[in-house]
Amino acid sequence: MFTLTVNGQSHLVDVPEQMPLLWVLRDHLNLVGTKYGCGVAQCGACTVHVGGNPTRSCQLTIGDVGTRAVVTIEGIGDAPNGAKIQKAWLEASVPQCGYCQAGQIMSATALLNSTPQPDDSDIDAAMAGNLCRCGTYIRVRQAIKNAAAKPA
Amino acid sequence: MKTIVGIAAAVIIAIALGFGGWLYLGRDPMSFAAGSTVSLADYKDASVAGVPKEIAGAELAKRGEYLIHAADCLACHTAPGGAPFAGGFAFNMPFGVIYSTNITPDKETGIGDYTDAQFLAALRQGVRADGEHLYPAMPYTSYTYMTDADALAIKAYLFTLAPTRAPAKQNQLSWPFNQRGLLAAWNAMFSPDERFRPNTGQSPQWNRGAYLAEAMGHCGECHTPRNVAYALDNHSKFAGALTAGWRAYNITSDKNSGIGDWSDEDVYLYLSTGHANGHGGAAGPMGEATDNSLSYLVADDARALVSYLRGIPAHATELPRTVTTPASASHKEGPTAAEDLRGEKIFAGACASCHDWTGVSPVTGYATLTGVRAVNDPSAANVAQTVVNGVDRTIPSGRIYMPAFGEGYSDDDIAAVANYVTARFGAKGAHLTGKDVADLRKQAAQ
Repeated sequence: MFTLTVNGQSHLVDVPEQMPLLWVLRDHLNLVGTKYGCGVAQCGACTVHVGGNPTRSCQLTIGDVGTRAVVTIEGIGDAPNGAKIQKAWLEASVPQCGYCQAGQIMSATALLNSTPQPDDSDIDAAMAGNLCRCGTYIRVRQAIKNAAAKPA
Repeated sequence: MKTIVGIAAAVIIAIALGFGGWLYLGRDPMSFAAGSTVSLADYKDASVAGVPKEIAGAELAKRGEYLIHAADCLACHTAPGGAPFAGGFAFNMPFGVIYSTNITPDKETGIGDYTDAQFLAALRQGVRADGEHLYPAMPYTSYTYMTDADALAIKAYLFTLAPTRAPAKQNQLSWPFNQRGLLAAWNAMFSPDERFRPNTGQSPQWNRGAYLAEAMGHCGECHTPRNVAYALDNHSKFAGALTAGWRAYNITSDKNSGIGDWSDEDVYLYLSTGHANGHGGAAGPMGEATDNSLSYLVADDARALVSYLRGIPAHATELPRTVTTPASASHKEGPTAAEDLRGEKIFAGACASCHDWTGVSPVTGYATLTGVRAVNDPSAANVAQTVVNGVDRTIPSGRIYMPAFGEGYSDDDIAAVANYVTARFGAKGAHLTGKDVADLRKQAAQ
């Protein structure tokens, strides 16, 4: 039995210690905005925030989450930078098929949290692990810059 | 003139004898310890050999199963994906390739016809049933310290296995290394052919650890450097060596290049689980040694090994002191941020999501790079091997997994990322080239 704080809400989940956080979110808490991509932390689609850090939830076991708070795409809009990124995403029409975008938004929000005015190399370093098979990278970069330019 | 030639010849002979004597003196793995030795029969505590008390009453084959884990026969006598103990595992030596043999009880291709005496001779003297010499890739110079009872318990266990038909693969050795007869001379020099003698100046726990490390686990076969004759050089006992393309680290009590600064608990955890927080996890051959062998030891036995390791004399090597502070959270700060864009780019895309820019993984302690010896090894051998081969270990608490990148990335890519990782998280950046990575791949190939 694990107590898990997701988007400010506490949940009691009865799952094996080795279950990846992604399965707990999707199958047990019905938070299906976070996507399964590669399953080996190589594509970024499953990115959530754990203790404030962008983390691949397909590789993080529930046993290793500990007391760290989890924020998913369903809750990121409640945080100022999350809301800013989501708005910039809409304005720039970033998504194409959309499958990777929850992960893109989580990584981009974490970037703004740590680096409010990122340059291109900051964006590369933070976003390189989030793959997009539609190739929306140019719009991702632009939307991050637009969001950073907005007042807090 | 005659006198000069005579003196020169005498000097050459003296040097040769001295050098030979020096090599010879390096063969005893336990001579470093203070105290005198006695035969096991004369020692106060016979349980320094054999199985732990928990299974002392078990039937012979069951005891053999514990001991065969302790001696880790499986790792080398099993080809990747092959039947257990059926042989075919490749040893890539500088002078050719040697394959391990089938030790299942198949009568034609295995050891099904071996008598007890033949089994003992193969295990401890390196002489097989037909009288030919085994190559010392089979660690008979270590197993020679095993008792009759333990060796025959192992044989009893092997004979409970299903016989697998698996003819020996042909070794690929050049002349003169393909002449097995020459090993008689090598053995005279380097094969002690003697049983374990407990040291009365040391504790029973130390002696149990010595038996497990030398007669059983044969740690030195990877961790002790070899001399010109490719025999273990115990003048540098456990000081580390490159074996099959992987670095077996210095495990002497040296505080900088060895494990002198590890706590007993950390050494214990590393041996029994293949991981200790702050020191990283075992991968490659040590991962196999943990999963096939060390993790099966009862706690008292693992503690005995710790006790023995603690007493190994410090031997400083070129391995720098491990950096234990995390790197900066910003990719812009760090020793090679500007120099090695290729390595940094690959790290950003393929590695940072689990290992983080700081080296402290947000995912699992197993993926933390800070404090890990592999990233503090300027040869970067194990970093490159881990990137190429990944990690896939199953331990009691679950699966330890890192994808293998060897198929998807070029040798130049892997060299660049290994150089970047060692510079960013370790004491000193490596300077691997794509060719070095190709060589490392070849040495570890099966």
